[in-house]
Amino acid sequence: MAYYIAIASSNGKNVDLKFGETRQFYVYEIEGKDLALKEIRYAKEKDAQADGASSCNEGGNGGCSGSGGGCSGNGGGCGGGAEVIGKVALIEDCRAVVCKKVGFQAQKQFEKKAISVFDVECSVEEALEKITSYYYKIDNRQSLRSREVPTEEV
Amino acid sequence: MAKLLDKQRYKCALGAMQTVQAIDRALPILHSGPGCAQKLSESTGSSGYFSPNIFPCTSINEKDVVFGGVKKLDSTIQNALKVIDADLYVVLTGCIPEIVGDDSGEVVSRYEDAEKPVVYAPTAGFKGNNYRGHEQVVDAIIDQYLKKSDKQQKGLINIWADVPYQDLFWLGNLRELEKLISELGLTPNTIFGYKRGIENINKIPEAEFNLLVSPWVGLGNVKKMERKFGTPYLHYPTLPIGATETSKFLREVGKFAGVAEEKVEAVIKEHEDYYYYLISRYADLFLENRVINKQFTVVADAQYSLAITKFLVNDLGLIPAKQFVVDDTPKNYREAITEEFKKLNFGIEAEVSFETDGYKIHEEIKSHDYHGYPLVFGGYYEKEITEDLKGNFLNISWPVQDKVVLDRFYAGYEGGIRLIEDIYTVAVSRFN
Repeated sequence: MAYYIAIASSNGKNVDLKFGETRQFYVYEIEGKDLALKEIRYAKEKDAQADGASSCNEGGNGGCSGSGGGCSGNGGGCGGGAEVIGKVALIEDCRAVVCKKVGFQAQKQFEKKAISVFDVECSVEEALEKITSYYYKIDNRQSLRSREVPTEEV
Repeated sequence: MAKLLDKQRYKCALGAMQTVQAIDRALPILHSGPGCAQKLSESTGSSGYFSPNIFPCTSINEKDVVFGGVKKLDSTIQNALKVIDADLYVVLTGCIPEIVGDDSGEVVSRYEDAEKPVVYAPTAGFKGNNYRGHEQVVDAIIDQYLKKSDKQQKGLINIWADVPYQDLFWLGNLRELEKLISELGLTPNTIFGYKRGIENINKIPEAEFNLLVSPWVGLGNVKKMERKFGTPYLHYPTLPIGATETSKFLREVGKFAGVAEEKVEAVIKEHEDYYYYLISRYADLFLENRVINKQFTVVADAQYSLAITKFLVNDLGLIPAKQFVVDDTPKNYREAITEEFKKLNFGIEAEVSFETDGYKIHEEIKSHDYHGYPLVFGGYYEKEITEDLKGNFLNISWPVQDKVVLDRFYAGYEGGIRLIEDIYTVAVSRFN
């Protein structure tokens, strides 16, 4: 059965954006071993607003510059709770999401929807290749074993 | 692999973190999923300077399955070296990284020049149980840490017995074996327990010979040391319990080490005199048939199954019913162990079954005619069935639920006396 993978990328080449800062997701459709770029989904302006460079400075003083604006405090991350939920909903039909980093709150939201989170820094191609081959194996009940491991040595 | 259906009596190879923990100031670093150290939560006596709850662990998840977990392993080792003060770091891998093919050995090799030694043992669960894992850890130390020594200490003997923590009495047994060896005028060297640790590990290649007291666990290790360091080994397959076996043990070790016969006999005589003084004082109790059962069964690993069978037949004159070895002994060792069960006094032979399925063991116990109430030595699993059969039960092998053992032991002359005390304590309490 076909499924989707959402990737946070600025140019479609590298996984180079954090979940909090991305404005778009490259959504790929995968059927067996075939994959194709289906569409690029854009976060709604109000969802994406909060992670403008001004309110979210990477690893600075906690990531949020102030209590007002996009930082809702109890959200615990860039953009606050509503923002996270909006973005999660944008890709909730996907099987996995790939970002450079994914904050704790967002991870929990994805977990709730049984969407796998991969926070990696690599090329889009590499990410897709590894993830699809992993899903292909588990969907077809194949071993994940990458090489033969001797089980009985005696 | 074992076809284990019911009542598991060992852990996966990663359980070898207990072997590491038994080495003073050695720390396991786990490359495994979160919760893999949880399997040790039932064991007692494992808190202290390091405990399973704080072992550094890469806690790998789905992402690491897909993209590989070597980066996490690298940072975990790096930070463990920074924040935990240990003498030896042993990286142990669980099933997941071994299956997906993380090259953990390569990552560990980056730490060859680290200030403290870091070694690596592949202990994936599908490779075997924690008896095998124990061997892997000792192998890792031999292969990756120790080097051949050009000096040799006359009379220095490395002693290897069974698996720490898995063997309830490991600490006391090792100390008692050390004591007996010292009495022969030799210098024992062991690496497990209080005040042993890295200094004793360093002495391993300098030993005159390795003494292995176990039916099969560790045989691969001593052979490896023979190849690598040229250290010969003496394989004594029975843990000596009681006078008959311990005297035999001392004679054999004495002969192998070239100790004067008079000296060995003098040591034996002193111990035996006291041993038999005690036995003769309690002979009235032992000879009273009402108290003790006629036939017995041991359900334990090869070490205890063999040792207790020999002790009960040779020293107490009891008759063996079927014995069970539950440690999933590798097939190539089974024949030799079966033969050992036939070497009993008075021409008695014991039948032994290598069986890991608790259900089948219990069925056999139920159907056997013990000529009265059975006497069963085993794990806690055998308590209920023995009670059903109105027999006497003593918990001597893992899992252990009804006793706490700090440093008691069953090895040697004194150990034999302790075991008699335990058996008869159970037996006489029936009538009270």
